[in-house]
Amino acid sequence: MSKHTKLQPGERVFNILLLLFSLGVLYEAYRISGPGFESISSPGAFPVGLGLILIASMIVIIAGQFRKPKPDTKGALDEARQFLQLHFPLPIVVFSAMAIGYLLLLEPLGFVIATLLFLFVSMVYLRHGRFVSSAIIAAVAIAIIYALFKLLFQVYLP
Amino acid sequence: MADSLAYFLMSWTDLSLLTLTAVGTFAGIYIGAIPGLSVTMAVSILISFTFAWDVNDALALMVGVFCGGVYGGSRTAILLNIPGAPSAVATSFDGYPLAQQGEAGQAIGLSTVMSVIGGLLGVLVLASTAPVLSEFALQFAPRDYFLIAVLGLLLVGSLAAESLSRGIFAASLGAVIGLVGMDPVTAEGRFTMGSMQLLGGIHYVVVMIGLFGVAEAFFQLHQLNVKPVRQNVEKIIPSLNLVLKFLPLSIRTSIIGVIVGALPGTGGDIASLFAYDHAKRSVKNPSKPFGKGAYEGLVAPESANNAAVGGAFVPMLTLGMPGDAVTAVMIGALVIHGLNPGPMLMVTTPHIFWFVVGALVLANIFLLIFGLMGIKLFAKVVELPKAILIPLILVLCVVGSYSLNNSMTEVYWMLGFGIAGYFLKIFGFQMGPIILGVILGPLMDNSYRQAMASVGDSLPAFLTELITNPLSIVLTIAIVLLLLSNFPLKRMIRGSKNAS
Repeated sequence: MSKHTKLQPGERVFNILLLLFSLGVLYEAYRISGPGFESISSPGAFPVGLGLILIASMIVIIAGQFRKPKPDTKGALDEARQFLQLHFPLPIVVFSAMAIGYLLLLEPLGFVIATLLFLFVSMVYLRHGRFVSSAIIAAVAIAIIYALFKLLFQVYLP
Repeated sequence: MADSLAYFLMSWTDLSLLTLTAVGTFAGIYIGAIPGLSVTMAVSILISFTFAWDVNDALALMVGVFCGGVYGGSRTAILLNIPGAPSAVATSFDGYPLAQQGEAGQAIGLSTVMSVIGGLLGVLVLASTAPVLSEFALQFAPRDYFLIAVLGLLLVGSLAAESLSRGIFAASLGAVIGLVGMDPVTAEGRFTMGSMQLLGGIHYVVVMIGLFGVAEAFFQLHQLNVKPVRQNVEKIIPSLNLVLKFLPLSIRTSIIGVIVGALPGTGGDIASLFAYDHAKRSVKNPSKPFGKGAYEGLVAPESANNAAVGGAFVPMLTLGMPGDAVTAVMIGALVIHGLNPGPMLMVTTPHIFWFVVGALVLANIFLLIFGLMGIKLFAKVVELPKAILIPLILVLCVVGSYSLNNSMTEVYWMLGFGIAGYFLKIFGFQMGPIILGVILGPLMDNSYRQAMASVGDSLPAFLTELITNPLSIVLTIAIVLLLLSNFPLKRMIRGSKNAS
């Protein structure tokens, strides 16, 4: 990834969230084998070290923010809007929803039908139509995947 | 001597052994290339239906899968920026930029030849210096393993991320993920937040598929309307000049690969990162800048990770200690066949050693043949429109993560890591350090505690050992130098001068 010279919309919020997460890690690590630990070789020692490293590196990253110019946004609301526009355009949102739907349908419908349905619907959406070729590609793909995994590698499918 | 040669040539002259090695290598390339299917998984499955076979047949197949698989991971790293295996992480740094420039064919051709050179050098070292090297590795204390892992993580952190602090954060995050579950010593839950399900831990393959497969697929949705770069795969076999030009680098990085591979616990993944770092530091005028499609950035990790295969067999066959995850599984296979991997293996059953060496050489020859053939078909994968490829990647990720444990839990974890990875990627955190942290975290925890326990939980004694034991001194100095080289000392000095 290229080096960002400017702070990205949402970057400051995300870094704060990561710092909070790091504090949570330290807290969880400290709780291993009761609060605190008896010796420096107890199960919680290395995790506590990791928690401290996470916090330290996050503080360095957050301190580095002040050296970078702020994003061109007007207020928090505008920054949130720009963040969503930049990283969550419609295709990503719709495809994510389809992916979650696919996972939910996997067990009720079985692997073959759910996958066929997911491949067909998502391809039709991403390719803006082309029903027939999408159906053929989905069918061929599922046949190959089924043969490869079920018959050759003998892997269990959902 | 004549006996050794006869055992060495056994897999070459017996038609069924020859075929099994060939089939194993071919299958290994595709298994290594398909994200979610790991060589470890394949070899584990192979054990389950080869334990009734003759030991030579089983070994020939597994050696082939191992060699092919380590190489195969590089193909998807180049074509899709999804390393098929951790050992191909470094390959994607320059391999994928080359594919984006339409040079996938040349990149795959060069990586094939370099893999074979590395692989053959690795076997040569295995055959000639196995006893010496294993004695050297025997002197390693847990403290040294800990230092090696720290060095590995710092290396990947400084290599892959925008800044060292981001790299260190990512690697530590990975280590935390790797530690989730039951503590192997005291059976206490760590980072489980009271959940019974988390007690079993999070499988690293799930994290890998999520971060490299799903997050990448989501990222590629941004480029839906970008026309795929037409890959130039006409010129696959690299010219002799090109190979000769990179031969010195290939030999140097192969040596790095063998040594790292021979260290127990460290395999092709760390070897390739060390090698990439070596190339980055030693090559002054790369063909293109590193990270933007330098051939050198492809040659180094590919030579090293295949050389590490030979290296990984050294401690396995002479000490009974696994060089990496795959050889750990292979030790299981040898035991199932009634053999006793360890120092006595060379004495009681020397034929196994020479048979493995012969099969490894043969597998590398097949690797050259299969690697340079069939790329056209393989490269068609990248010419597939993203709108077709992305749903397929997601399905493969689902199959891969489900097959680990035959449960949907892993699939949901995989999706969760995919979403988290997408956010981390947006803000410049790289996936490579995270996944290495996941793999090395438990190893570091274990060696740290062993090292501490061995000095009676005394921090001063531990620190004293760091600066008195010759090997530890070298490793400590390497870590300090690496940290200093990334620290903006120069800028600080310049800044203070400007201020005065």
